[in-house]
Amino acid sequence: MSLNNGQTLTVSGQDMTKNGSSNRAPWDDARTGLKPSTPTRKPKPPKPENAITIVVSSRVLFNMEKEQQIYKQHGMEEYIKYQVEHETEPFSPGPAFSFIKALEAVNTRLRELYPESEELFDVVLMTNNHAYVGLRLINTINHHQLFIERFCMTGGNSPIGYLKAYHTNLYLSADPVKVREALEEGIAAAIMFTPEKMKEVSETQLRVAFDGDAVLFSDESERIYKAHGLDKFFEHEKTHENKPLDHGPLKGFLEVLGKLQKKFYDKGQRMDCPIRTYLVTARSAASSGARALKTLRSWGLEIDEALFLAGASKGPMLEKIRPHIFFDDQMFHVEGAAEMGTVACHVPYGEAQRVTKKAIKDKEISSAPK
Amino acid sequence: MCWFSFSLQKDADHAVVIAVTSRAVFGSGADDDEVYGEGLAFPLLQALQRVNEHLLMNNPAELLLFDIVLLTTDSQQQQQSPRIISSTRHYGLEVGRFCFSSEEDFVENLLKNNVQLFLSTDRNEASQATQRGVLSALLDHQTASCPSEQLKVLFFGDAVIQPDTGPTPPSRQAARSFSAQLGEMQRRFTMSDSPLSIGLVTWRGGRDSCADALHTLRSRGVRVDEAYCLAEAPWGPILSVFRPHFLLSDGFGGLEG
Repeated sequence: MSLNNGQTLTVSGQDMTKNGSSNRAPWDDARTGLKPSTPTRKPKPPKPENAITIVVSSRVLFNMEKEQQIYKQHGMEEYIKYQVEHETEPFSPGPAFSFIKALEAVNTRLRELYPESEELFDVVLMTNNHAYVGLRLINTINHHQLFIERFCMTGGNSPIGYLKAYHTNLYLSADPVKVREALEEGIAAAIMFTPEKMKEVSETQLRVAFDGDAVLFSDESERIYKAHGLDKFFEHEKTHENKPLDHGPLKGFLEVLGKLQKKFYDKGQRMDCPIRTYLVTARSAASSGARALKTLRSWGLEIDEALFLAGASKGPMLEKIRPHIFFDDQMFHVEGAAEMGTVACHVPYGEAQRVTKKAIKDKEISSAPK
Repeated sequence: MCWFSFSLQKDADHAVVIAVTSRAVFGSGADDDEVYGEGLAFPLLQALQRVNEHLLMNNPAELLLFDIVLLTTDSQQQQQSPRIISSTRHYGLEVGRFCFSSEEDFVENLLKNNVQLFLSTDRNEASQATQRGVLSALLDHQTASCPSEQLKVLFFGDAVIQPDTGPTPPSRQAARSFSAQLGEMQRRFTMSDSPLSIGLVTWRGGRDSCADALHTLRSRGVRVDEAYCLAEAPWGPILSVFRPHFLLSDGFGGLEG
């Protein structure tokens, strides 16, 4: 499938992308000279090729558990009927909600410093849902004052075509099948879980925590660990300290975060930067940790805090950091984090998936309604 | 001048009359002696027929069916009228009426035959028809030619939203009644077994524009299966993935050429 940016659409002979339409977008007023501080002016969404595109599914952005139950127990028609009947009732926030709010806080700061730039986060809602549910989702976005102007309601079709076409930098969903498909297509993606109780997180500083192996880095070292155990793994890593690891599925996302961070540093805002990144790894500072840091350096990437746990549980450390989102390739760590109130996402990539496949089947949420 | 295919007559009061140009249905170029090759709109015709088949399977006495009119304005093709008719028979295409007309008065023909939707690959023809109040859609390579089990119709939402003032142009009225009929057809089926798939895409404006378009279509009884709110992101991917047989702009805005 090819992306055609220059697509001119003609319908009944009229070029639909001309300015001839009498419908004015909310941001059209900006061109008539309103001051930036005017509260009613909505900023215009950036072009997909310039933006950092974060695609979220409706089930992780909002809490749709009750509706999910109705679908499971009573089927599609009942589910749709319920949604339409409750159309004006907004959904309550889901696990991705505070992450999205934090992205918007970063955008606000970026716009202040770089008013002409389109290098901003663009949040797109991607849902399997039928367009019938669309109005309730739009009402909910309005209610929570989220800045989401783009969405795809695919009525059951695969989102992969759209993810690729719109330069997706990160895809978050509760559906393991879709996330695996996205990873196979080279798109950074993760399965988001809902903690029993979510800990409070910052509203002004976006905090993103990453596991190292098989998330930022490839799973090559995981294989050693699996085959020979932790001690051998530490030894191997020390020996190969100066050889950079290969990259993993979320390296690109860390890269774009770093690019945005530099924009704040360039304006003298290093101390007050609204983005902070963390590496939370089972590697040990004494041995295997160096290879991780050297690899990042060889890629020209910075990470604000590196936490080497030498195999200890990640839950307590994450509880202290309070990231908006945490990525790990092992369900053991994802669950440990979620138990302590961190919004944790599983990246189903690499060696760890083969051994724990059954565990995943038991724990992961099943697919969204079609 | 129109020739009726007697065996395929539909009930005039209830049928949804769609006219397609033979230039769109049959390709020009390397053809068999007896029969034309398949053109751009060929899969579209087959999809319309499939909808009829499903409607009749549900209810053999169904009257709300698509009635296809094949319009030939191309003088070259007109000279080969028997070949056009035999081609439709060859491919098993259910054409209710064959109309042969000049470029000057084909619109009269459309009006006389109560055509509710006119489909052409020619921009001028589509424009002329719209100006006389006939809902038209321009077929092109991006859209019409994808074979699909379902008939796929994409509404362009920027035009669905009502303007505040002014009289309703006749083509808009035509659009409203056509979409209401599609809605009526959809209601004959459940969501999982429908031979008809309706999409909505809004390009200008954000989520509120899309919400308005969804409300408008719902008020006409149209069930939207897929919706895309682009906020000025590129169109291409939506067309490539949704693969509509034709797009409806609701006839709004007229045609400035």
